[in-house]
Amino acid sequence: MANVTLEGVTKRYDDVVAVDDMNLEIPDGEFVTLVGPSGCGKSTTMETVAGLTKPTEGTIYIGDREVTDLPPKDRGIAMVFQNIALFPHMDVYDNISFGLRLRNFDQDETDRRVENAAEIVQMQGMLDRMPSEMSGGQRQRVAIARALVREPDVFLMDEPLANLDAKLRVHMRTELQRIHRELDTTVIYVTHDQAEAMTMSDRIAVIDGGRLQQIDPPLVCYNEPDNLFVAGFIGSPSMNFVEGTVDSDGFDSEYVDVAFDVGPMALGEGDAVTLGIRPEDIYPAGEAGSVSDSTAEIETTVDVLEPMGDEIFVYLLLTEDAESDLEDPEAGDQLQMSVDPASDIEAGDSVSVVFDRENLHLFDTDTGQALEHGLVQPTQAEGTTGTGAETDD
Amino acid sequence: MAGAQASETSDEDDAGPFTRWVQKSIRNPDRTYRAMFYVVTIFFLITTLFPFYWLLVLALTPTDLVDQAGLLPAGFNPEAFITIFEQLPFHVYLFNSFVIALGTTVVVLVLASLVGYVFGRLDFPGRGILMILVLAISYFPPAAFLLPLFRLFTGNVEILGLSSPFVFNSPIGIGLPLSALFMPLSIFILTTFYGQIPDGLEDAARVEGTTRLGALFRVIIPLSAPGVATAGVLTFINVYSEFFFSYLMTDGQAQNWGPLVWGILGYQTQYAASYNLMAAASIIGVLPVAILVVIAQERIVSGLTSGALKE
Repeated sequence: MANVTLEGVTKRYDDVVAVDDMNLEIPDGEFVTLVGPSGCGKSTTMETVAGLTKPTEGTIYIGDREVTDLPPKDRGIAMVFQNIALFPHMDVYDNISFGLRLRNFDQDETDRRVENAAEIVQMQGMLDRMPSEMSGGQRQRVAIARALVREPDVFLMDEPLANLDAKLRVHMRTELQRIHRELDTTVIYVTHDQAEAMTMSDRIAVIDGGRLQQIDPPLVCYNEPDNLFVAGFIGSPSMNFVEGTVDSDGFDSEYVDVAFDVGPMALGEGDAVTLGIRPEDIYPAGEAGSVSDSTAEIETTVDVLEPMGDEIFVYLLLTEDAESDLEDPEAGDQLQMSVDPASDIEAGDSVSVVFDRENLHLFDTDTGQALEHGLVQPTQAEGTTGTGAETDD
Repeated sequence: MAGAQASETSDEDDAGPFTRWVQKSIRNPDRTYRAMFYVVTIFFLITTLFPFYWLLVLALTPTDLVDQAGLLPAGFNPEAFITIFEQLPFHVYLFNSFVIALGTTVVVLVLASLVGYVFGRLDFPGRGILMILVLAISYFPPAAFLLPLFRLFTGNVEILGLSSPFVFNSPIGIGLPLSALFMPLSIFILTTFYGQIPDGLEDAARVEGTTRLGALFRVIIPLSAPGVATAGVLTFINVYSEFFFSYLMTDGQAQNWGPLVWGILGYQTQYAASYNLMAAASIIGVLPVAILVVIAQERIVSGLTSGALKE
């Protein structure tokens, strides 16, 4: 049981900065996920906490102890690795009890703890198997048991589910949450999969380019992203972005205009801003009944439908000339919308859509920083200043 | 070859036996490969085993009939295998060689493991050049060291007023230079093996509670068992059968750590060379190595087939 604190941790390799001035404060018992794209420094951050990598600068505390220069074995941590890393020459019992035997636990205590850990991961009765005789999921569970058995202060998990197949991954996700609930230990979890981060964590630390972008509970990251990177990374499918400028009565771009009261905001006319809308906050004009406050209608053409079963993802083109480019939804001339599976939208249809004002996000295009979450209508009663869509070309 | 013009449809009875054999082989290349396998295997078996057979022939031939020995011994005199122990304390020579080879192997394996770990698993500037330097040592001609080493080992070198220790006639006199000479090969083998162990396993061991050194001995070395066995066996055999330093770093007395080579040469006196005794001694001398190889080979094979390195 311990909190973990990183103060100004920086890791530089020859000419690459892997981790840049990382400050994290993780209270005891919290499940924190470090999430970000490949190579963003999340694994390096974890390795500095584990003691496998020494930070170039900064200090790390576990509990009240400074551990920056301690070897991994003295830090009271346990770790689950992406490549599982069971010792191939030892059976399950020896693997799980490896750390206990190094610490000279007596035989009874070792047996009791191994039994207990095996029970938690549901691997009783397989203690004499060799790693090569087990499936990927079983091996991963042994690796988790090996971490559990030492009753560490902090659990570190480095993409522990990345090598498992999709079904097993979802299953292990719930298992890990159950284990965390039972043990109530601090967990630091690294993943590049934002769905894992969303579902498991108390807080998500979004990392990009070695820098911490935002650390907040999952829904805060989702609903109030601090910047463009977080907005685009959290959520699947990801947020639509439309680049434009501020004019006298709100947001102005080639295809999308949204009126809002510029007055109270620190914005000047002509400022470059980016509008963000999540696919589920776009509605066909007639079906926005549940939305109290919607924008003016925008004319679009349906390009491609992706039925997922529980919903349909619809790719909308804002202009007939738009190049359908599913690879780059940020091109600015298309939007992705999710609709009810009962919808009768078909490819090629012309559809008018509206946005849910409460869930619009405005970002500074240059710095990427979020400016506003939820854009209220201008105060005049007639809220039609939003000129809506002009499908000019 | 009569009937060599046989077309596909021609009756094979027309062709001679060689032609038929060739045709069969073309249709069934496995036959050819099998035949070649036997030819090559038998060739190597003869070239490696015949010297031992020849030693046996010599050992069984009585001394006075040695010049009449052919492919079969001239006479039958197995007493030679007993005589060698009566004329000289040959078992002591065997023991000496065995101890020197075993000690050198242990020293080489421990040091080469540490060096192999550094070269195989750590990244540092100048690694390649250092590795080449280490390997270069194994190309030095041993004779080049002999005179200075001999002076050093016989206490004739003074450093800061201290004379060097007298290790002539001791296992160190032979073991030390041979450790240095055979270490590079072991380092090279172990570097390769240790470098292949996934980083995750070492990290896991360190997180679980070992030091780097502990991870080396508890995880990396056990998983590299075939490599360690190979390096160990090669070092043991090299030292056990080494001639140059073994001959020159002792005075050849059994009680003065004279190794095997001195024992075998001991049957050659100023006036007579008992070839049958020397042959018998050679056969006895080879036995420990032969046994070791058989045992180690099983370990190496079992290490490779148990899937120990499957990740």
